[in-house]
Amino acid sequence: MPPRKSSLHTAWLVFAAIVALAVFGQTLYVVQARPQDLVTGAHGMADIISRALPPAYDQFVPNLWPVLETIDLAIFGTVFGVLMAFPLAILAASNVTPARPLYFGARALIGITRAVPDLVWALLFVTAVGLGPFPGALALAVHSVGMLGRLFAEVIEDMDMGPVEALTLTGAGRLQVFTHAVVPGVLPSLLGISLFRFDENLRSSLILGFVGAGGIGFQLLTSMNLFQYQTVSLLLIITFALVACAERVSAYLRSKVT
Amino acid sequence: MNTLYSNADAFALDDSGHTNVEGGRQATVAANSAARTGVRLAVRDLAMRYPNGHTALTNLNLAVNAGEMVVVLGSNGSGKSTFMKCVVGLNRPTNGSIEVAGRDLAQLSGKDLRIGRLPLAIISQNANLVKRRSVLANVCCGTLGRHRTWATALGRIPKSEIESSLGFLDEVGLLHLAHQRAGTLSGGQAQRVAVARALAQRPQVLLADEPVASLDPEAADEVMQLLRRLATDDGLAIVCVLHQPELASRYADRLIGLRRGRMEFDQPASAVSSRQIASLYTSEAA
Repeated sequence: MPPRKSSLHTAWLVFAAIVALAVFGQTLYVVQARPQDLVTGAHGMADIISRALPPAYDQFVPNLWPVLETIDLAIFGTVFGVLMAFPLAILAASNVTPARPLYFGARALIGITRAVPDLVWALLFVTAVGLGPFPGALALAVHSVGMLGRLFAEVIEDMDMGPVEALTLTGAGRLQVFTHAVVPGVLPSLLGISLFRFDENLRSSLILGFVGAGGIGFQLLTSMNLFQYQTVSLLLIITFALVACAERVSAYLRSKVT
Repeated sequence: MNTLYSNADAFALDDSGHTNVEGGRQATVAANSAARTGVRLAVRDLAMRYPNGHTALTNLNLAVNAGEMVVVLGSNGSGKSTFMKCVVGLNRPTNGSIEVAGRDLAQLSGKDLRIGRLPLAIISQNANLVKRRSVLANVCCGTLGRHRTWATALGRIPKSEIESSLGFLDEVGLLHLAHQRAGTLSGGQAQRVAVARALAQRPQVLLADEPVASLDPEAADEVMQLLRRLATDDGLAIVCVLHQPELASRYADRLIGLRRGRMEFDQPASAVSSRQIASLYTSEAA
């Protein structure tokens, strides 16, 4: 018969629960949580909502271009990210990397591009190339390189090495082994990750507009600054539709490739 | 019998060390009868000591003829895997020679080893197929060593090789599954596809490292029958590591017993007693 759990074990559980409560408790203090303000501020929120309704549907057509900009920001960022991340991931995967220095170099590059948030990249690129969608697209692309590079490398590292070894022993060359065993082995996972990244990039591109990187985000910021709340509500509806569509399309395509 | 593949000198190396497939085929026709005799794999005084001082193999001598199927038996740690790794060049032996098609693989490395190893095909416990590719595409991979070009790297396999790959699939009885995804095959079918991929390499020697270890008895029997047929009908020299003495006795021409890295016996299968086999699996302390 297995031994019963000791009272020491129970004491540890109680201690862990107290620590968890204490951690959560201090967050309430640090974030200056004031639930009562939500109640007293309800009037202000109701006022904004009443001013935002009905949505300014006449602004739909003029905002189609920013919608396209937002979608294209996500497509550019994802495609460029994938194109850059794939070779980097091969160098950064310990099981297929051609040389250790390249492995460390690729890992460092992936780490830097991933650690700096896309918003910060956007600010940097706005400074470099000016306002508009291009700095946003560059920001998404560079940040995607880091995010995709790491995930791609992990997929490659986790792949079944059996076929790779089998083909190597048949006398196939490195490139042949790569195209005939590595690529077919990891491609579905890489496509799935890329589609998921597109979905994330679309949502990020909305935020990037707030720092002048074009798209719906920029329109949203402008409308809010001009107190055009009916336009804001229309833009929010468009945003919701865009994000929902991207999620569904991405999920559908992922289910087809994996 | 299907003679789509001929094991004898089906590849030939020109002076520059490149594979000359067409020349090899012509030579094959002329040398077909001669190919069915003679030593295909000769291992002499093979010894292997790991850097940590462990001696895995001691003075192993072995010759496998064309058309012969030799089964290596032994308990875990007896040196079977080290022996196989030495033969395929994954381990460099500390002493001895491994001669295949007139070249000593133990002395080769890099590109020379890759070329020297071409007459040697290996199948292992796992079929190691690329699961998302078709059965035929997997078999065609066996031809890549002879066609190291950009075109084949990008997936353009010569038509003649595709046709011969279909022939090998026919030979292992799976032609009807040629266009099916490899991931959908049963364990036995996958192993037979691995055999077809090995045949596509046009080897003289086929090494099988526990090829039926993960198969049910029926599938194991099918794979062993196939290997037996390849030796008898096609003149392939087969070295097979097995953990099933009864399968070994049924299908092998010769049995080799390994114990603690030494060869305990090398005799015709019919001459090996069950006591000899049992002694391989008895611990020293017993």
